Amino acid sequence: MIRAPAFLSGLGRFYIGLVLAFLYLPLVIMAAMSFNVSPFYQLPFEGTTEWYVALAQNDGLIDATINSLEIAVLTTIIATALGTAASLALFRYDFAGKRILQALLFPPIAIPWLISGTAMLIFFFGTGIGRGLHAILLGHVALALPYVIIVVSARLATFSKDLEDAAASLGATGWQTTRKVTLPCIAPGIVAGGLFAFAVSFDQFVVSYFLATPGQTTLPVEIYAAIRKGFTPEINAVSTIIIVFSMSLMLVVSRFFRFGGDQ
Amino acid sequence: MAAGAIPSNDTDRKETTPMAASGAMKQNGLRKALPLLLPAYAWLTLAIFLPLSAMVYFSLLTSMSPSEQSSSLTLANYATFFSDPLYATLLLRSLKLGLLVTLICVLIGFPAAYVLAKIFKGRAREAIFLLVILPFWSNSLVRVFSWSMVLREGGILDTALNAILPFHVTFDLMYSFPAVVIGLVHSYLPYMVLTCYLSLQAIDDALIEAARSLGATRFTTLRRVVAPLALPGVLAGSALIFIPVVGSFMEPRILGGRTGTLYGTVIEDQFTAVYNWPLGAALSFILLAVVLVILLVSAPVLRKAA
Amino acid sequence: MARVEVQNVSLTFGAHKAVDDVSIAFEDGGFYALLGPSGSGKTTLLRMIAGFEFPDAGSIRIDGEAVENVPVNRRRIGMVFQNYALFPNMSVEGNVAFGLEVRGEKGESVRRAVAEALELVQLGPLAKRRPHQLSGGQRQRVALARAIVTKPRVLLLDEPLSALDKALRTDMQVELKRIQREVGVTTIFVTHDQDEALSISDRIGILKDGRIVQEGAPEDIYDRPASEFAATFLGDANILTGVVRDGSLRLDGGTAIDLPAGSGDVPGELRCAIRPERVRISQSMPVTGAAGEPPEHMRGVVTRRLFSGSASTYFIDCSGREMKAIVQRGGDADMAVGSPVCVHWNADDLIPLSAGDGRD
Repeated sequence: MIRAPAFLSGLGRFYIGLVLAFLYLPLVIMAAMSFNVSPFYQLPFEGTTEWYVALAQNDGLIDATINSLEIAVLTTIIATALGTAASLALFRYDFAGKRILQALLFPPIAIPWLISGTAMLIFFFGTGIGRGLHAILLGHVALALPYVIIVVSARLATFSKDLEDAAASLGATGWQTTRKVTLPCIAPGIVAGGLFAFAVSFDQFVVSYFLATPGQTTLPVEIYAAIRKGFTPEINAVSTIIIVFSMSLMLVVSRFFRFGGDQ
Repeated sequence: MAAGAIPSNDTDRKETTPMAASGAMKQNGLRKALPLLLPAYAWLTLAIFLPLSAMVYFSLLTSMSPSEQSSSLTLANYATFFSDPLYATLLLRSLKLGLLVTLICVLIGFPAAYVLAKIFKGRAREAIFLLVILPFWSNSLVRVFSWSMVLREGGILDTALNAILPFHVTFDLMYSFPAVVIGLVHSYLPYMVLTCYLSLQAIDDALIEAARSLGATRFTTLRRVVAPLALPGVLAGSALIFIPVVGSFMEPRILGGRTGTLYGTVIEDQFTAVYNWPLGAALSFILLAVVLVILLVSAPVLRKAA
Repeated sequence: MARVEVQNVSLTFGAHKAVDDVSIAFEDGGFYALLGPSGSGKTTLLRMIAGFEFPDAGSIRIDGEAVENVPVNRRRIGMVFQNYALFPNMSVEGNVAFGLEVRGEKGESVRRAVAEALELVQLGPLAKRRPHQLSGGQRQRVALARAIVTKPRVLLLDEPLSALDKALRTDMQVELKRIQREVGVTTIFVTHDQDEALSISDRIGILKDGRIVQEGAPEDIYDRPASEFAATFLGDANILTGVVRDGSLRLDGGTAIDLPAGSGDVPGELRCAIRPERVRISQSMPVTGAAGEPPEHMRGVVTRRLFSGSASTYFIDCSGREMKAIVQRGGDADMAVGSPVCVHWNADDLIPLSAGDGRD
């Protein structure tokens, strides 16, 4: 490509630095404050780990964290399986009304979460499905599905259908072809789709908020309640742990699969 | 709009089978595709389509509480929206907020994505890309809340400013409209960088070189070649931001305080405080209709611009 | 190894007849080329024999067994794709073993068969590599080994050499021919490259607009094309149109040309082809009837000359009719553009074309 003059590329790097600073400033402050003595974020900074100790005894927060993780893992598994199957069908087969069917996959993204959430509340309440963790899981999978399908379909677009033809010409059945050729080839897309499903679920507040019940709640809902009641630094502590955990997870995954970089 | 983000396979297929499939083949295709599609659509039906239908039905009920069975059909809830100007004012305010946040995200996110896609290379690009999307895996609530430590009086910015400046200033953005905007931009900026980056990365550098070789300046190349090709990414990102922001209620409550009353917070109140579900459903449905109309109207206009 | 028989096969996509009532037999162990321009239906025909497309009408038999409704994975065919279609998630070995493994074979027998196949294509040392670590020619060999290791009844090749550069392509043609001889499998090879079809195959079928316009041995088709299309698509030809009268062909300008014995019997309009390498040119008029010198037919002026190494192609304007002549290097001195020349040939080299088929 045409190389940008040094000053332009320097400007670009500086700009990216600013954007990253904007994105990470609050996170860094939060992590720092989780080690600060003052619960009201008073400076000067005085180091302590007391909030982490307090967190260990805060059953409500810990239970909510475990719920969030469980739901995120289940959402990842279900949404990835359903989404990959649907992407494969849309990739392989042509049929009348396909465009309409494809468009129908997007309401979870094209509708504000507030509306999806309240609609689910009304429907689940009215039909006896009720609220609670199972309802939250129902909602999260629906919200995560379009993301999985977008990411997996993008990967499939780079997959040559000749490979499936080649497998069939060598005697492989449809299932053998899928398992031994198609799925391994689009594995990076499936993993990336799964990571998005996890993020959508783990970070999801709005839908969970309307579907949670006092005993069955997720971390974001619990934090929202805590903020409105009066924030405690234990939340900084748990958030810091989560961020460190998910960053490490992403770094490990990105060693195996390259996202966004040169393919 | 969001549908544009999914790559269409039709064009790829046409290369292997150059002619359109016959009717018989199409029916055969649906029969084979159905077992793979059914689970996803069944799930969406249960969790999205049936709830939305239920909401429409609910918005036409008179009953104040879902437990009362003796409700009848009425348009009163919609009448409420039109009789009290407060709702329209708040809806307008939410739409303005959505536009403003989306616009700021485009202005900040597109250049960032451009730098990432066209200046950075190899491992550095990958690492920064990862840093940009990493906040997705942290907690948005906590990210929003952490701004309160930055923006309030006695917070980080206030303290830092007063440490640098020789005179005393009072810096307190907390519980203001700008605070809500900052928090929302911070939450949704990664979406814009992500979608813009994906479409910018797909632009062949040879196109840029070709434009430059024809005598175009850097800026002209950006305006006439790069920006139009990247437009699908900008649009997808805008939809992904505008839609949730219009319905946001958590960020305005945390960062906006009393000034943060928006259309979304009113809907939330109907479901969690006032328990007037039919009115909440009607207000939700009006919001949904407005969002869909905006998407439908803007999609062809923007497509023409591209 | 098997005989493949295609009978009255048609396939229509929408309003487009991709393959239109084609009948052709591929004998056991033969090496066939299906040659035609893009859109002629050759790939569709191949994909129907493979089982990727199913004919609307007609039958396809492999070894006498009707297969037109058998899915591809049960036809026991081998196929090499234009872009090789090597599985990127498997090593060279894994690719070659795939066809055996999906049939349920395991262990030592698979290992031995894979080693043999890789030996045959001379890729033994690269067995552990991944496809992306191979050159184009090496990928081609892996694709071939993968297709023949399962001992298919018929080997189908879809423009397999088109992605290679010219030198490599010539090498691979020789190699492909050797391997096909060694294995003895009935082979059907789709190409749009006439030189490739001529040099590699035992027999050629020429397709146009979904129909087979001529089928035969390369030499026969080249020497006796049935139509103008066959004459110009396979090799180059000067086309002469005129009316048969008194045993000779009278061209539009009035020039009379001798016809080969036996072809001037039927009066009426006739088209003839003459290969440029059969056309001779000279500066002076040859002595008519002298031994070894063909009679003069036309006079003209050299308008262009293309030098291609071993030979030159001359374009000669013969009072408005352009004639091409290919002259081997050496012997006669080169003729400059603008020089007047005599154009002549042996009457026996003139090929009368059937009027009906393949006229554009």
